[in-house]
Amino acid sequence: MTQTGWAMLALLVVVLVWAVAAYNRLVVLRNRIANAFGQIDVQLKRRHDLVPNLVEVARGYLKHEASTLQAVIQARAQAVGAADAARAAPGDAARIGALAQAEGLLGGSLGRLMVLTENYPELKADATMRELSEELTSTENRIGFARQAYNDQALEFNDAARQFPALIVARLFGFGSAPMLRSTQGPAEREVPRVQF
Amino acid sequence: MKFWDRQDAARAQTRRLLLAFALAVGLLLLGVHLALALAWVLMAWVLPVHLPFPAGFLVTNVGVSLMLVLGGWWIETSNLRGGGPRLARRIGAREARAGVSHAEQRLCNVVDELCIAAQMPRPQVMVMPRADAINAFAAGWDAGDAVVAVTQGALDYLSREELQGMVAHELSHLHEGDTRLNMQLIGMVYGLELIYHFGDTVRDRGGLAWWFGSAIMLAGSAGWLAGRLLKAAVSRQREHLADARAVQWTRSRDGLGQVLRKVMTQRAQGERRRRSLMRDYGGLAHPALQHLLLVQAPDERRWMQRLDSHPPLRERVRAIYGHPMPPLPVRPLPAAPEPAAQREAAPAGALPLAARFDPFARRRQAG
Repeated sequence: MTQTGWAMLALLVVVLVWAVAAYNRLVVLRNRIANAFGQIDVQLKRRHDLVPNLVEVARGYLKHEASTLQAVIQARAQAVGAADAARAAPGDAARIGALAQAEGLLGGSLGRLMVLTENYPELKADATMRELSEELTSTENRIGFARQAYNDQALEFNDAARQFPALIVARLFGFGSAPMLRSTQGPAEREVPRVQF
Repeated sequence: MKFWDRQDAARAQTRRLLLAFALAVGLLLLGVHLALALAWVLMAWVLPVHLPFPAGFLVTNVGVSLMLVLGGWWIETSNLRGGGPRLARRIGAREARAGVSHAEQRLCNVVDELCIAAQMPRPQVMVMPRADAINAFAAGWDAGDAVVAVTQGALDYLSREELQGMVAHELSHLHEGDTRLNMQLIGMVYGLELIYHFGDTVRDRGGLAWWFGSAIMLAGSAGWLAGRLLKAAVSRQREHLADARAVQWTRSRDGLGQVLRKVMTQRAQGERRRRSLMRDYGGLAHPALQHLLLVQAPDERRWMQRLDSHPPLRERVRAIYGHPMPPLPVRPLPAAPEPAAQREAAPAGALPLAARFDPFARRRQAG
């Protein structure tokens, strides 16, 4: 082979190695996004598990607020159903939207419940209630942080997929851009549960 | 705070400092050789006979010094490899458990939350029950033995948001591998120190060896001082990086900012009653711990700020807020009711929450 031939071959090998590395990096980043999205689901499940305990403790004290408690229970059931549906068909935008809406409702009704507890000093002083409200605060934070982590991951992926020259590999193999999650999905969810005792 | 820019700047600065460190080691090796050459020339000048340099003078000098530096580094890093929990226990920390108190439940929760934000495995959480000063530290060689320990003072005086800022700062040290980097640097500085000691040993023989020993000691002490200065400078950059990380993960300036401002107040109070200061700090004054703390334990011998492992509090607060901020008063949090797991009469129908998360509490409940 001539000298030019060797040079061409060497150049080709370099380009190939680079392309494989770029492709692998994009795959890793895309998997991390999926993982970060899974984290949000884990935290939502935690919220669902917490609600029955919270309602049970509050029920003893809030005898005349049955409708609020009922609303929380209903919202939870809806959210659990929506989460199951979304898990069954990951990537279905309509189901993800329904889940976001159901979670928003649950967040809102939990918020109203916590505001209500402010008027019941005995409930506020209850140690189990205090533990539960700490867990609820923590769960809300975890959901927020899981979303934030997802967004940071999506940002890293989008940066990597749009920078030149990795852009070429991303286009060739159809790496789209990852959507960002908005922090709040609806007005009900914006009503953060107040659990400051 | 522009936390992305700040992180990039701190990382770039660390790289420059590490390069300087490598350069300092190289210069030290050369310095030892030059000092020995000078001693040889002086000796030849004093003695009446003609005395050429022995064969392999440079190679021997550089080789022996390099062996001392690398050997010392190896010995010290293997000593430090004991693991985070062991170090924490040595200074009086114990494991934090969600079932023990409301404050510890909150701490465990905060660590879990921030591990989600930081996307890292959860380190072991510990509490230093005897330290009243607001402080915390992270330690550990890798993810398997990582530990975050918080003082009782932090649990008593910090709100949830502030605790988040503090824990995020410590998690950054683990996430960025600062604990490992620092142990490496400690080992390197020890290696540089060995050259000085070697010179001291040689000098003790007296006579001609005195000249050589002194020359080695001179080069060794210069290298050791340069090493300490660079190590402290690296440590200060990692503090800035951890502060920026904390702001990124919590998306809040006030969390960490208010912790530092409360520490300012505690420091000012501490200056007034210096005698009780050491008690407040419990085991935190341990020298191997200084670079790992949220804020440095006050040192009586503050003669050289360049050797501080942390930037001044005011500077850190200014970096976080973008402008100077006054100290904040330190008040204990309102007392929480006893956790349900420890009370005799829990309300009917509800299993105490601690029992669901903490196996020890569950066993207590069953027994």
